Amino acid sequence: MSDATIHTPNPQAPQPMEAARLTGDATAEDIESIRKRTSVYVYEAPVRLWHWINAAAILVLIVTGYFIGSPPPTMMIGEAYQQFVFGYIRFAHFAAAQVLTVGFFFRIYWAFVGNHHAKQMFYLPIFNRRWWSEVFFELRWYLFLEKEPKKYVGHNPLAQTAMFFFITLGLNFMLATGWALYAEGAGQGSLPDMAMGWLLALVGNSQRLHTLHHLGMWAIVVFMIIHIYAAIREDIMSRQSIVSTMISGHRTFKDDRVE
Amino acid sequence: MTINTPNGFTLDNTGKRIVVDPVCRIEGHMRCEVNVDDQGVIRNAVSTGTMWRGLEVILKGRDPRDAWAFTERICGVCTGTHALTSVRAVEDALGITIPDNANSIRNIMQLNLQIHDHIVHFYHLHALDWVNPVNALKADPKATSELQQMVGPNHPLSSPGYFRDVQNRLKKFVESGQLGLFKNGYWDNPAYLLPPEADLMATTHYLEALDLQKEVVKIHTIFGGKNPHPNWLVGGVPCPINVDGVGAVGAINMERLNYVSRIIDQCTEFVANVYIPDVIAIGGFYKGWLYGGGLSGKSVLAYGDIPENANDFSADQLHLPRGAIINGNLNEVHDVDPRDPEQIQEFVDHSWYTYGEPGKGLHPWDGVTEPKYELGPNAKGTRTNIEELDEAAKYSWIKAPRWKGNAMEVGPLARYVVGYAKGHEDIKNQVDGLLRALDVPVNALFSTLGRTAARALEAEYCTRLQKHFFDKMMTNIKNGDSNTANVAKWDPSTWPKEAKGVGMTEAPRGALGHWVKIKDGRIENYQCVVPTTWNGSPRDSAGNIGAFEASLMNTPMARPEEPVEILRTLHSFDPCLACSTH
Amino acid sequence: MSQIETFYDVMRRQGITRRSFMKYCSLTAAALGLGPAYVPKIAEAMETKPRTPVIWVHGLECTCCSESFIRSAHPLAKDVVLSMISLDYDDTLMAAAGHQAEAALMDTIEKYKGNYILAVEGNPPLNEDGMYCIVGGKPFVEQLKMAAEHAKAIISWGACASYGCVQAASPNPTRATPVHKVILDKPIIKVPGCPPIAEVMTGVITYMLTFDRLPELDRQGRPLMFYSQRIHDKCYRRPHFDAGQFVEHWDDENARKGYCLYKMGCKGPTTYNACSTVRWNDGVSFPIQSGHGCIGCSEDGFWDQGGFYNRLTTIKQFGIEENADQIGMASAGVVAAGVAVHAAVSALKRAQKKSQDKVED
Ligand code: HEM
Ligand code: HEM
Ligand code: NFV
Ligand code: SF4
Ligand code: SF4
Ligand code: F3S
Ligand SMILES: [Mg+2]
Repeated sequence: MSDATIHTPNPQAPQPMEAARLTGDATAEDIESIRKRTSVYVYEAPVRLWHWINAAAILVLIVTGYFIGSPPPTMMIGEAYQQFVFGYIRFAHFAAAQVLTVGFFFRIYWAFVGNHHAKQMFYLPIFNRRWWSEVFFELRWYLFLEKEPKKYVGHNPLAQTAMFFFITLGLNFMLATGWALYAEGAGQGSLPDMAMGWLLALVGNSQRLHTLHHLGMWAIVVFMIIHIYAAIREDIMSRQSIVSTMISGHRTFKDDRVE
Repeated sequence: MTINTPNGFTLDNTGKRIVVDPVCRIEGHMRCEVNVDDQGVIRNAVSTGTMWRGLEVILKGRDPRDAWAFTERICGVCTGTHALTSVRAVEDALGITIPDNANSIRNIMQLNLQIHDHIVHFYHLHALDWVNPVNALKADPKATSELQQMVGPNHPLSSPGYFRDVQNRLKKFVESGQLGLFKNGYWDNPAYLLPPEADLMATTHYLEALDLQKEVVKIHTIFGGKNPHPNWLVGGVPCPINVDGVGAVGAINMERLNYVSRIIDQCTEFVANVYIPDVIAIGGFYKGWLYGGGLSGKSVLAYGDIPENANDFSADQLHLPRGAIINGNLNEVHDVDPRDPEQIQEFVDHSWYTYGEPGKGLHPWDGVTEPKYELGPNAKGTRTNIEELDEAAKYSWIKAPRWKGNAMEVGPLARYVVGYAKGHEDIKNQVDGLLRALDVPVNALFSTLGRTAARALEAEYCTRLQKHFFDKMMTNIKNGDSNTANVAKWDPSTWPKEAKGVGMTEAPRGALGHWVKIKDGRIENYQCVVPTTWNGSPRDSAGNIGAFEASLMNTPMARPEEPVEILRTLHSFDPCLACSTH
Repeated sequence: MSQIETFYDVMRRQGITRRSFMKYCSLTAAALGLGPAYVPKIAEAMETKPRTPVIWVHGLECTCCSESFIRSAHPLAKDVVLSMISLDYDDTLMAAAGHQAEAALMDTIEKYKGNYILAVEGNPPLNEDGMYCIVGGKPFVEQLKMAAEHAKAIISWGACASYGCVQAASPNPTRATPVHKVILDKPIIKVPGCPPIAEVMTGVITYMLTFDRLPELDRQGRPLMFYSQRIHDKCYRRPHFDAGQFVEHWDDENARKGYCLYKMGCKGPTTYNACSTVRWNDGVSFPIQSGHGCIGCSEDGFWDQGGFYNRLTTIKQFGIEENADQIGMASAGVVAAGVAVHAAVSALKRAQKKSQDKVED
C-alpha cells in the first residue's frame, strides 16, 4: 500500500474506476468528484428516505401477509363486535401497502428527475458487453475466485441485476397482485378494480392469485436475506462504503488504487 | 346366430336390429340395441354406457379426506350417496370411528336421498312410460276426483275443481302447439292402457311431486348446507349441534330440528297418500304386463345399509338387508364379503378398458382403469358414427362386475328379494300387503312392475326409518351428547404409512362400494363399483349378460319402431349412467 | 328474445299456404288424439308469439345442474317449464327417446333458427375423437356444435360447462373442455357452481325472458347480478373473521358458536357466488351455515387448488407438493444457510488475507 492516504485527492490517477465508467455506472461528474473530494454523492435524500420507508413497509407487509395466510390462534377478548384482531392485521397490511404503492410511484418519478444513479435500478444495460463482463467479474468475486473487488459508484452490476428482478419487477408483481386482491373486496367498479381487476380475470381464480401473491412474498424474503447480507459483507470486504452510503448518500472509497 | 349364455338366456341376433340412442329420461348417456324377431319380440339385447369421465384416474394422488367431494360429483341424482360411501371407505382404511349423532344424521340424509330419488324417479323419469298426459285432456275431472278419493283418501288435493284447474292448464299447454318435454312422445301407442282419469290423476301428481321434491331435500340443506351435493366429513358430519349454548343460532338448534321433523312428516304423508296409492292404481291397470324380470328371480345382490349403531356394520345391525342370492335359490342367502378377492371382481373384456390380459377379473383393491376405445369387426358405421355395435367385442364404457362370477341385479327389488328371503319383518309385511292389494302371486315381483313397486315400498319403509333416527338423535341430545365429529385422526401425521379400506352403502339404485388404498397420506388407488355398473354391465368373459340386457329379453313390442316397452323396463332400474362409468 | 317468429310465420316463410297450415293443425290434433274442436285453438296458438324454445343438451356431467334447476322455489320449476319456456329437448326429462328425440331436436333448430336458447350442462371431451361422450352414436361435441350454430345465446350451466369441473381436474383424462373453448362465435352466459343455486338458474332465465336482453356479465362472462361478490363479502360469519375468531377443529366449542371457518379451509374469500345471500333450497341454509367451509365450487379449476381443508393452496410443480409457505420457508432456509456458509468462508478468507498482508508488511 502506498503512503498517500485516500483522503488526499489523487488528480494524477489516470482514469479512476475504469470499469464503473465503462459500465455507465460512473458519470463524468462522478469521476470529477472523486478527483476532487474522494467521495461521490450517489443516493439523494429522497432515495434514501424512500429506501428506509420502503424497507419498513415491506417488513410490515411480510409479517401481516404471513398472518393473513396463517392466522394466529383464536383470541377471546370479547364478542365479535368488540374485537377486531384479524381486521387490524389486515388493516396494517393494507396501510403498509398504500405506503409501499405511493413510495414506489414516487421512486419511479424520482428516476426521471433525480440523478443518474436514481435510474440504475430500473434497467439492465444488457447490450453493453463490458457490463456483462463485470457481472461475471462480480460473480467470480462472490465465488472467492477474485482476490480484490472493483470499485463502483452506484450498484455493482450483480446488485443491479438483483434490484431489477426483485425490486423493479418483484415489487411491481406484488403491487399488481396485491391490488388485484384488494379490488375484490373494494368491489367491481371501484378504483382498484378498474385499475387491476383485469388481472383476476386473467389468472382466472382468486385463490390462484392469492398463491401467486404469497409466493411473491417469499421471493422478497429471499431478496432481503441476500441484500442485507451482501450490504454488510461488502461494507466490510469491498473497497467502498456501503451501509453508510444509504444513510449519508455519499460513496467513499477505502483506497485510491485504480483497477 | 343363437347363443346360450351361462346365466340361462338364449340370444338370437338375426332379427331386425333396433337402436335407441339416446335413451332418455335417465341420468347420463346410454344406448340400447335390441334384435326383435318377426313377431316383434326382443331376442337379443345390448346395453351400452356411452360416457366416461375418469374419476378413478383423477382421484389418484389426492388427499383421502377430499375424496368424498370428488366422488359425490359422480352423480347429482343420487347426490351424497357416493360421498357417504367414500367417507366410510376412508374411515375404514384409517380406523376412524364416528359419534352416534353423526351416524343418525348420516342415516337420515341417506334415507332422505332414497325417498327423494324414488319419488323423482317414479314421477319424472318413469311415469311417462305408463301415463299418457295427452290422454288426460279427455278425463272427467269429477270422475278423477272420485278416483283420487278412492285410491288416496287421505290426500287433501282431491276436489273436482282442483283437477279441472290442472286439466285446463294442461289444455292450454297442449293447445299452444309447443309440447316441450312431451314432444314426439308415443302418445298413440297401444301400450298405454290407463283410462283418462288415471292419466289426469297421475299427471297432476307429476306436478305435485315436482313441487314436493324440492321440500324433501331440505334435510340435506340443513345438515349438509345445500342440495344437490351437500357437504360431508371424514370422522363425522360437518354440522355441529348446539341446542342451548351461546351462539346456538350458528349450529343445529331447535329451530333446525323442528324443520327437519316437519319435512320428515311431509315425506311420510306424500309417500303414504300419493306415491304408494299411485303405484297400486297404475299397477292395477298394467298387472297383465309382467315382462322384464331378467335376473331379479335368479341372482340378486345387496350390501345392506343404515346401521342402527355407529360403526357397527354387521349384517343383523343393518336396516336395509345384506346378502346374495344366486341361481334363483331363495332358500339360501349368501353372505357378502367385500374384502374377499374372489367375490367381487370386475371384467373388461367387453368394456372399453384394458387390463393387458384377456379374461381376467380384478378385485377393486387391485382394480385398474385404463381406457381403450375400439369397435368390434362387425360393428356398422365408423369410429365416430356408430350405427350398430358389435357385442362380440368391446361395446360399453361400463365395466362388468361379477359376484363369484355371477352377473347380479342390484337395487330396490334386489334388496326386497334378499329381505323377503331372509324374513326381514318390515319388508315381508310390505310385500305381502302389496301382493294382496294387487291380487298377484309372489312371482309377479320378478318383473318390470315388481321393480317399480319395490322402489315405492322402500320409499315408505325409509320414511319410517327416517323418523326412527330422528327420534334416536333427539334422545341422544337429550341425554347430553351433542358430538358430531371425531377429529382424533384428522391429521395425516396420525395415519399409518399404508392402509386400505372399503365403504359400502345401498344407494337408491342398489349396492354401492368404494375401495381405497392410501399410501403416505395420499390416495394410491380408488375404485368404485356402482349400482348401475352392476345392472348396466355388458357381457363378461364367460358370456353372462348383465341385468339390463337380461330384463329386455323376450319382451314383445307393440310397435318396434317406438321403444315404449324398452324404456319401461330400462327405466324400472332407474339407470344412472354417470354413476355406472364414473 | 322479442324477435321469436311464430310457428305460422316460419311456415309462411317456407312457402306454405294458409290452407295447408290449417291441415297441419288438424293433423297435429289428430296425432295428439284430440278432436276437431281443438284445431282452431292449435292454429291460434301457432299464430301467436310462442314461448321461448330452450334446447338443453348434456355432455360429461353428473346431472346435478338439472337436479338443482328443478329445486327452484321462485319461480317454481313447473311454472318455468309449463308457462315461461318451451323445453323442446332435454334428454334427462323428455318423453321421447332415440330417433324421436333426435327428431324433436332437429325440428326445433329448424323451426326457430336464431331464436332459441341453448342451455348446456356438462362439457364435451375432446380426447379419443370425442367418443368419451356419445349421443346418437356420435361425439357429443358434434351435437353441441350443431345446436350452437343457430342458437340465439348459450347458457353454460354449472362448473362443468363453464370451466370443466371434476372431469377436467388434473390429469383431465378425457380432455373435458368448457363450452366457451369449443363455441367461439356466440354470446355465452356462464352460470357456474357445482351445481348453481336453483333460484340463480331460474333467475337468469327469467331475466332474459322478462327484460328481453342478456344479463350484464362480468369479465369472466358471469351474470353480475349473482356473481359480482364473494361468499366472504356477505358471509354472516364475517364479524368472527374480522375478530380473528376461528373454528380450530371440527365440532369444537368455536364451531358450535358458529365462528369463522377460514382455518378449516373455507374458500369463501376466493369464491364468487350468491350462496351467502340467496342461500340454498329456498333460502334454508348454505354450506357455511351448516358448518362446512365453502369449497369454491363456482370457481375455475377449484378441484386443483389443493386440499379443501387447507387455507393455503397445495402447489404441485416439478413433483413437489407443498404450500406457498412451505416452499417459501424452504427457499429462504436454503438461501439463509447459503448466506451463513458464504459469510463463514468470507471471514476465513479475510483472516487469511490479513495475516498474509501482515507477512508482506
Ligand atoms: C412486499 C409486498 C407484499 C407482501 C410481502 C405481501 C404479502 C402478502 C401475503 C403473504 C398475503 C397472504 C396471501 C394468502 O395466502 O392468502 C397477502 C394478502 C394480501 N395482500 Fe399482500 N403483500 C404485499 C403487498 C401488497 C400490496 C401492495 C397490496 C395492495 C393493496 C396487498 C394486498 C393484499 C391483499 C388484499 C391480500 C388478501 C387479504 C385477504 O385475503 O384477507 N399486498 N399479502
Ligand atoms: C425490506 C428491506 C429492504 C429492501 C426492500 C431494500 C431495498 C433496497 C433497494 C431497492 C436499494 C436500491 C436503492 C436505489 O437504488 O434506489 C437498496 C440499496 C441499499 N440498501 Fe436496502 N433494502 C432493504 C433493507 C436494507 C437494510 C436493512 C439495509 C442495511 C443493513 C439496507 C442497506 C442498503 C444499502 C447499503 C443500499 C445501497 C447499496 C449500494 O450502496 O449500492 N437495505 N436497498
Ligand atoms: N347407479 C347409481 Fe347412483 C345411485 N343410486 C350410485 O351410487 O345414481 Ni346416479
Ligand atoms: S357442474 Fe358440478 S353439479 Fe353441475 S353437472 Fe357438473 S359436476 Fe354436476
Ligand atoms: S366462514 Fe368463510 S366466507 Fe365466512 S367469513 Fe369465514 S372465511 Fe369468510
Ligand atoms: S362451495 Fe359452492 S355452494 Fe356456495 S358456499 Fe361455496 S360456492
Ligand atoms: Mg369403477
